[in-house]
Amino acid sequence: MQISSQEKDDALLKRSAKGDERAFTELYRRHQAAVFRFALRMTGSSWAAEEIVQDVFMMLVREPKKYDPGRGSLGAFLYGVARNRIMKHLERTPRDVSLDTSTDAGRVLHPQLQDSMTPARWTELRERREHVRAAVLALPAEFRETVVLCELEEMSYDQAARALDCPVGTIRSRLHRGRALLLAKLEMLRDVPKRANATRG
Amino acid sequence: MTCEEFATVGLDLASGEADSLLEKAAREHLRECPHCTALHENWLALREDLRALGDETADAQASPRAEMRLRQEFRTKNKTFKTQRAAFVLGWSVAAAAAFLFVVTWISWHAHRTLDVANTQNPVVRTGPAKEDSLPAKQSNAAVESQSNEVLVASNNSGDFTLLPDSMPPVPEDATVVHVQMQRAALQALGLTVNEEHAGDWIQVDLLVGDDGLPQAVRLPQANTSSGN
Repeated sequence: MQISSQEKDDALLKRSAKGDERAFTELYRRHQAAVFRFALRMTGSSWAAEEIVQDVFMMLVREPKKYDPGRGSLGAFLYGVARNRIMKHLERTPRDVSLDTSTDAGRVLHPQLQDSMTPARWTELRERREHVRAAVLALPAEFRETVVLCELEEMSYDQAARALDCPVGTIRSRLHRGRALLLAKLEMLRDVPKRANATRG
Repeated sequence: MTCEEFATVGLDLASGEADSLLEKAAREHLRECPHCTALHENWLALREDLRALGDETADAQASPRAEMRLRQEFRTKNKTFKTQRAAFVLGWSVAAAAAFLFVVTWISWHAHRTLDVANTQNPVVRTGPAKEDSLPAKQSNAAVESQSNEVLVASNNSGDFTLLPDSMPPVPEDATVVHVQMQRAALQALGLTVNEEHAGDWIQVDLLVGDDGLPQAVRLPQANTSSGN
């Protein structure tokens, strides 16, 4: 399935490179959401995420030969390009941690109020999500991207390694460090009992 | 398994990325260590929050405006590319046509030049220097004859040149033989007598032209002998 998907991507890209607008549009629709989500979760800004999506696909329009099918799937390639753009964006605005929670369509990204929830529980949940979102956005970029890919995107370590073009071991160690930082930021360790058995086997 | 080891791999339990042996050891450690159990539970809670955060943006995608802009850019780029390609092809076509024209012109010019040289050199080689021994003598004789006779008749039989009236014998190296076709009557203009019965005949005449461009002597090739003077 994965192979046929890649083959379809390659065929679409070839047609797109020859000026087939429909092929380009299909290619865009197949991949834009994943790139947008990755950028949104990394930057916390839908505006920045959209700019990054534009940059990524403009690169595909202008320099389609930059993608080498022998090195991996088009999706992983687009993740790599998006990652570079995101890093540049974060370098330009290192302190710009946006808590933008609304999409362009005006849909608010808050926990949905369910029938079983009391308003107090809903407020608590919403605040908790905001804390988590802020904690993720406050992570250093290299840890943030692994947390975003493995926890929010629910990619496997292998998929994340391909997307970030690094060894699985690097993903594992960054994810471990990212999780520890997240737990620390959210002060979730404060209730943990002292390690009485820290040296115990 | 120690707490440090659990901290390294224990959080992978929830994601299913842990090795089976490690997972077994980690679960045993969890049963024994309240600190790591609390850490694991906190992580599970945080993971749930992260997944919920992921779910909130699971349907997020770029706006249709972005797609429109990209498609517009795609069209512009391809239009520019097509224009550039057309200009490239046109430019090379014009250059190729110019080169072809130049080659054809050069070949044509070269062929004409070769033909001219051949036309110029061949008669001289054939009739000039080759008859060098006979031409001056004959011309000298003809000059003497022309001076002695008032009426000059072109010689058809000898194939040699007959000096025209008031002409100096040309230097063989400077003389050029020109083959022309003319009406017999035109020989009168050169000071020769012409049989009026055949004055309208077209004949082949060889003119010996000096370096001043004027005919100095005339010869009627054998083919015209039958038509007579």
